[in-house]
Amino acid sequence: MKKIAIFLSILLFMGNLVSNAQTKTLTGTVTSAEDGSSIPGVSVSVKGTTLGTVTDIDGNYNLKAPGDASVLIFSFVGMATQEVSIDGRSSIDVQMENADITVDEVVVTALGIQREKKSLGFGATELGGDAVSEVKETNFVNSLSGKVAGVQIRQANTMGGSSNILIRGTTSLTGNNQALFVVDGVPIDNANTNTSNQTSGWGGYDYGNAAMDINPDDIESITVLKGAAASALYGSRAANGVVLVTTKKGKHKKGLGITINSQVQISKADKSTMPKHQKLYGGGYGPFYEDPTAYFFYADIDGDGVEDLITPTSEDASWGAAFDPNLMVIHWDALDPTSPKFGEKRPWVAPEHDYTYFFETGLKFSNNVSFEGAHDKGTFRLSYTNVDENGILPNSEIKKNTLSFAAVHNFTDKLSVDASITYVKTDAVGRYGTGYDEGNVMQSFGQWIETNVDFKRLKEDYISPDGRQRTWNYAYYDELVPIYFDNPYWVRYMNFQDDERNRFFGYAALNYKITDWLTFTGRTAIDYYTQIQNERVAVGSNGTSDFTKRTRTFNQRNTDVMLKFNKNINEFSINGIVGGNFYQSNIESTTGSTVGGLIVPGLYTISNSVSPVSVSESLQEKGMNSAYAQASVGYNNFVYLDVTGRYDVSSTLPDGNNAYFYPSVSGSLILSELGGMKDASWLNFGKFRMNYAEVGNDAPIYSTTSTYSQGTNWGDLALFSVNSTLQNPDLKPERTKSYEAGLEGRMFNDRFGFDISVYKSNSYDQIMPVLVSRSSGYTSRYVNSGEIQNKGIELSLDVTPVRTSDFSWDITLNWFKNKNEVISLYEGVSNLLLTSAWDVTINNTVGQPAGVIRGTDFVYTNGQPTVNENGYYMISDAEDEIIGNVNPDWNAGLINKFTYKNITLNVLLDMQQGGDIYSINTKYGQATGVYAETAGTNVLGNPMRDNVVSQSEGDMGAHFGGGVPLSDAASNSGGTILPGVKADGTPNDILINSGRWGRAFYYNNSPTARYVFDASYLKLREVSLAYTLPKAWFNNTPIQNLTLSAVGRNLWIISKNTEHFDPESGLSSGNKQGIESGAYPTARTFGFNVKIGF
Amino acid sequence: MKSIKYISIALMLIFTIGITSCDLPDNQNPKAATEVPVNTLFTNALISFANQVNSSSVNSNPSRLLAQYWQETTYFDEARYNFQDRGISDSYSSAFYKDVIMDLKEAASIISATDATGSLAIENANKLAVMEVMSVYSFQCLVDAFGNIPYSEALMGSENSSPSYDDAATIYADLLSRISSAISSMDDSYGSFGSADILFGGDVASWKKFAASVKLRLGIRLADVDASAAKSAVESAYSAGVFEAGEGALFYYNGVVPHVNTIYSHFSVSNRKDWLPANTIVDKMNELGDPRIGKYFTQYEGEYIGAIYGLNGAQSYNNFSNFTDRFMAATFEADLLSYPEVAFILAEAAQRGWSVGGTAEDYFNSAVKASIVYWECTEAEADAYLAANAYDAANWKESIGVQKWIALYNQGVEAWAEWRRLDYPILNPPEDMTYADIPVRMPYPYDEEELNPDGYAAAVSAMGGDDMSIKLFWDKN
Repeated sequence: MKKIAIFLSILLFMGNLVSNAQTKTLTGTVTSAEDGSSIPGVSVSVKGTTLGTVTDIDGNYNLKAPGDASVLIFSFVGMATQEVSIDGRSSIDVQMENADITVDEVVVTALGIQREKKSLGFGATELGGDAVSEVKETNFVNSLSGKVAGVQIRQANTMGGSSNILIRGTTSLTGNNQALFVVDGVPIDNANTNTSNQTSGWGGYDYGNAAMDINPDDIESITVLKGAAASALYGSRAANGVVLVTTKKGKHKKGLGITINSQVQISKADKSTMPKHQKLYGGGYGPFYEDPTAYFFYADIDGDGVEDLITPTSEDASWGAAFDPNLMVIHWDALDPTSPKFGEKRPWVAPEHDYTYFFETGLKFSNNVSFEGAHDKGTFRLSYTNVDENGILPNSEIKKNTLSFAAVHNFTDKLSVDASITYVKTDAVGRYGTGYDEGNVMQSFGQWIETNVDFKRLKEDYISPDGRQRTWNYAYYDELVPIYFDNPYWVRYMNFQDDERNRFFGYAALNYKITDWLTFTGRTAIDYYTQIQNERVAVGSNGTSDFTKRTRTFNQRNTDVMLKFNKNINEFSINGIVGGNFYQSNIESTTGSTVGGLIVPGLYTISNSVSPVSVSESLQEKGMNSAYAQASVGYNNFVYLDVTGRYDVSSTLPDGNNAYFYPSVSGSLILSELGGMKDASWLNFGKFRMNYAEVGNDAPIYSTTSTYSQGTNWGDLALFSVNSTLQNPDLKPERTKSYEAGLEGRMFNDRFGFDISVYKSNSYDQIMPVLVSRSSGYTSRYVNSGEIQNKGIELSLDVTPVRTSDFSWDITLNWFKNKNEVISLYEGVSNLLLTSAWDVTINNTVGQPAGVIRGTDFVYTNGQPTVNENGYYMISDAEDEIIGNVNPDWNAGLINKFTYKNITLNVLLDMQQGGDIYSINTKYGQATGVYAETAGTNVLGNPMRDNVVSQSEGDMGAHFGGGVPLSDAASNSGGTILPGVKADGTPNDILINSGRWGRAFYYNNSPTARYVFDASYLKLREVSLAYTLPKAWFNNTPIQNLTLSAVGRNLWIISKNTEHFDPESGLSSGNKQGIESGAYPTARTFGFNVKIGF
Repeated sequence: MKSIKYISIALMLIFTIGITSCDLPDNQNPKAATEVPVNTLFTNALISFANQVNSSSVNSNPSRLLAQYWQETTYFDEARYNFQDRGISDSYSSAFYKDVIMDLKEAASIISATDATGSLAIENANKLAVMEVMSVYSFQCLVDAFGNIPYSEALMGSENSSPSYDDAATIYADLLSRISSAISSMDDSYGSFGSADILFGGDVASWKKFAASVKLRLGIRLADVDASAAKSAVESAYSAGVFEAGEGALFYYNGVVPHVNTIYSHFSVSNRKDWLPANTIVDKMNELGDPRIGKYFTQYEGEYIGAIYGLNGAQSYNNFSNFTDRFMAATFEADLLSYPEVAFILAEAAQRGWSVGGTAEDYFNSAVKASIVYWECTEAEADAYLAANAYDAANWKESIGVQKWIALYNQGVEAWAEWRRLDYPILNPPEDMTYADIPVRMPYPYDEEELNPDGYAAAVSAMGGDDMSIKLFWDKN
């Protein structure tokens, strides 16, 4: 460092030689406002000249300035630039603040351009890095929930699962609606590579969305660009809004510049999000078996010559015999002759350990160490993060190692380079199976299970010493193979998956300052990863044994060449950019799997296949060349006008239609600079903004040329078929047009602030595969058609009710409402199917919001569900009634922050009003008699599972059909009365059988609307309590600061309308939302954090 | 300073060009074929065809339930005629249109576009005729399920995404004319698809008999609605040469997943037990003393017991007869059309006084005997059975209806059609339903109303509705 100081001095000395006599010498010290430490390397220049210097090792500067110099400019990376009037002083000391502290200074906008926030004509919300790093989520996207108006997050409750992020609603009818993630100006892949089976709810693992590789510990700030005007410079990829992540760069730190941050979190399944089981009856479908009561299998197992009662193991429902401690029964684990428990009889009672025993305590360690520093020529930061997480299911673990390095180096005043590289390695074992699939243990726990099964016993006995599976669901008492379900412990320990992803992303940039107002930047960026996924089904499982391996290599390159200008002419400030972008991506994937089972048990290779292996390959190569320009003109810091334009040429559109241009214009008026308002002491800042933007979009890859699809060879005969999707060689670009207006203000000494936006956007000519009559020879074809509209309002308020020197209370409220409507689809088509899940479909329907749930509805009388003369629900004639809408009415987040001296308490409430969700768990869990509501007593005080008994006709038996009015029911009658009214509008009073499969709780006797629930919720999402130890305690140690905090996430669902699951449940990220199928419980997490700075 | 500027710009360009180029890729999928050998389309269509005719999937072919051969164990929705949950009509229609006929059409257009002369031209003509047989058969399956269907405007891809529906009787007439020209254009002294033909190994003579037998089936279906057309079709098919004893279109699976029999696929590959023999057929065979019962079903506690058809409750797989090992074999054949069916049609034709070279009783006996022998019982057993259950000319619809139904046990689609036409055997209405609730038609695909609204509306209006109770034009009683 000494050498640098000497070198600097020489430079300064030389500067002295060339300066002329009419100068004055200015000196001073630059320190950090945060901790008072001096900052070397700060650029100090005389405004309006090229004269300048940098501070030395002790933060001191010495500058010869012209006699008429009036203002000095102090700038430093990561800190707010200051302009200071000289006012005749010769000694000027300056305190610099971190740039991210004062949100109304500078924000990062599209392409990484830093702009004064007041000049922006569009909505942009900025969050500090602590919003995602304080209470860490494995997928940092989840941490945005409730914190930004206009951003709707739906998280999967799977370990490392995907997070669906919608900004200002659905803009594409069938395409990608996820926000674009940009790190340091460079787009990062956020693909969801889950299989379509997974996203449709048919099973498979949720591998998450790729943006989750961004490490929360490395995030300096996040800016959410919501409207098209904000993101138009990114082009079509940003049509759904942008989440701009700025990573931490080196900063000067007092002390060594080393920070260690350690967090430990435990997680527990939230019982309020788990299916509630009845505890009165055991397994079976009804009295259909062999013993005299017909509720049990019946055979002499223990060899005493007397037939024994045996659990009807072949069934996966709980309409069985009532629990009775005096009934001695042979349970599933006493059926294997090789087991020591063989022939053991145990009472027929509810298990001591029900399925909730299956969930373990999750444990997660996150450790981060970063080294950073700054010197007179630049800065650097090196960071390493290790996250090791065990989920709440047995045998589940994710390990993630992230190494990142960023540096800036200024070779001369004009030439600088900066670069950043991040390497992320993710290794997972035992991700959770999802959807309607036996690999998802919740399919059984939530739908198909025998309530007599003790889970501790399942755990102790899932495999026999000779490697066979033992399960509660044997095909028969003498056929000891699973019929429908594997032992859930077998699923977790034998049929587990593993995966690995190695990813590099980063950029390198050269900046050259041509003149003081013109800078040339060349930047190239890569995002490259390979991932391998291995999925297993062991020999001895219910399904065919299998090994599937998927490899995927993703390679995306972006190069930008930009000319940036920034000039003030009299009262006008002009800045802007002209540039070009070259984008290329290659995605290559191969999937290989065994066919017909594994030959050698336990050998997981593709070649260990009974039948010839199945291999499929895909290679997607896409490119786009773009030119863009943006100019912003400001007048007197009072009025700003922005214009942008972008021209894209995309490889995915046919020649002739593949080039498209789109403009945006935005303006802002600083109201607080207006004549009358300028002097209003209560008003700190006021702004009105408006914009209009268009964004074009290209086609999904390879949608212009039809190809054949290939089947599995028959011996040596290859099989090809006409593809079921008809491609379209005449596609043209999609287009979105949007308007937005906003008003923001800060007043009463910054104790009250608001920001309100209204917007409307319409997307046209959408490129989508529409279903066609299959008699046309195809099931779908690509068309350019349709229009979708989003209108919305976003409101942010921040209030500081209390602010004293020791205590402050800050409230931030975000509230937003998006109204989405499908205006048109295609020719005569009024409905577009997104996915179907059993008897409901999720659709885009003309005149409705995107994502309506359709199925059979109740028949309503005076708004009440109506029952027929037999007492069962009447069902609408049409099978496609609209019975729900997945979009919420509004969302809100409320943050209360209390600061007392060194203690900070942060409490986030997250709320959704409206939105519907269809529950497959509830549909089956009720039908199988597993759920609590299917057992208990009826209005007469009798067991509802008992037969209906009529005064006039006696026991009606268990038959389906006519019920008995309460007035004719015998006093000992069982049965249930469904809530609703009779056709004449009077309350339903008809008792119907509800004691077995196929009766009152059966889905086929019910409209599908019976399983649609309101997805509103109010959640205590996040709480953190942080204590920064007094600096004085560490005076004689290398420790600069030490913060301890206790954190919690998803702590409490204060209200919801779904009995058996979390209303936020989703299958995956993507457009197939609004379906709960085998949803996992939500994990409540509690953590403890230590952050030490050296 | 100037030099630094140039150096930096040069550096920038180097690393720009080094990593990204501005040439755009061509948007042609390098991993998918844009041209394929025509045989690959044919073989694929043939497999799809056999699969769909033979399928027992609850998602795409409920015919074994409709004919009441089988009952479902625990999940009995389809046996109680709920076809909506799984979009069964959609899959049934899609399997024929898209997976069979479209590939045949594509193959035919490739063949027609090739210049060939001499023997190659004759082979090409044979290939086109062979594919006509499968197309005609498939369209008949579609008409027999739905009634009026898209036909003349079907399979036109982007030219017509919402084809109009044609009248079912008109389609039948056209199918008869198409199958007739296919028969006449086959030259069995030349080959066709060779080893790509996994049904007949490229043997055109066999295809010709199959074609004539398909024509026979088309013809007899019209017996009650257009007797003269039926007579002429049946007689001309007969004289063209139909399947004889021991012959048939039997499609043997190669036994390698996924090319396995549907029952093996369900019980062994999917490892499930959702099916039981229905009491309807088990009771009837018990009653008639049918020797095939032990070939079709296993015993439960020394007896043949079928599950109650259409019960609104679960029935345990372990408490009833099950299926014999023959059905459980991976290679077990799909029966597309074979001699017993031909002989039953000829028996009916003779009974109706048409000229088919034999008497009704002879053909009836020959049909029953051929089926019994096919199921590996002895001729003596067949004779004894026929002695006990002799042909009853006075009640020929019942005699033929019941015996044909038993013989068509492995051909659910045809069995359901012939039950509707002959009105025998007497089936069992599911619990809480009436006889009239047993479907005589499949509802149109559920999304057709949405995707092809004009065509659908016109068809529903022409048919008098879209219910399962709407009788087809050939279903006259």
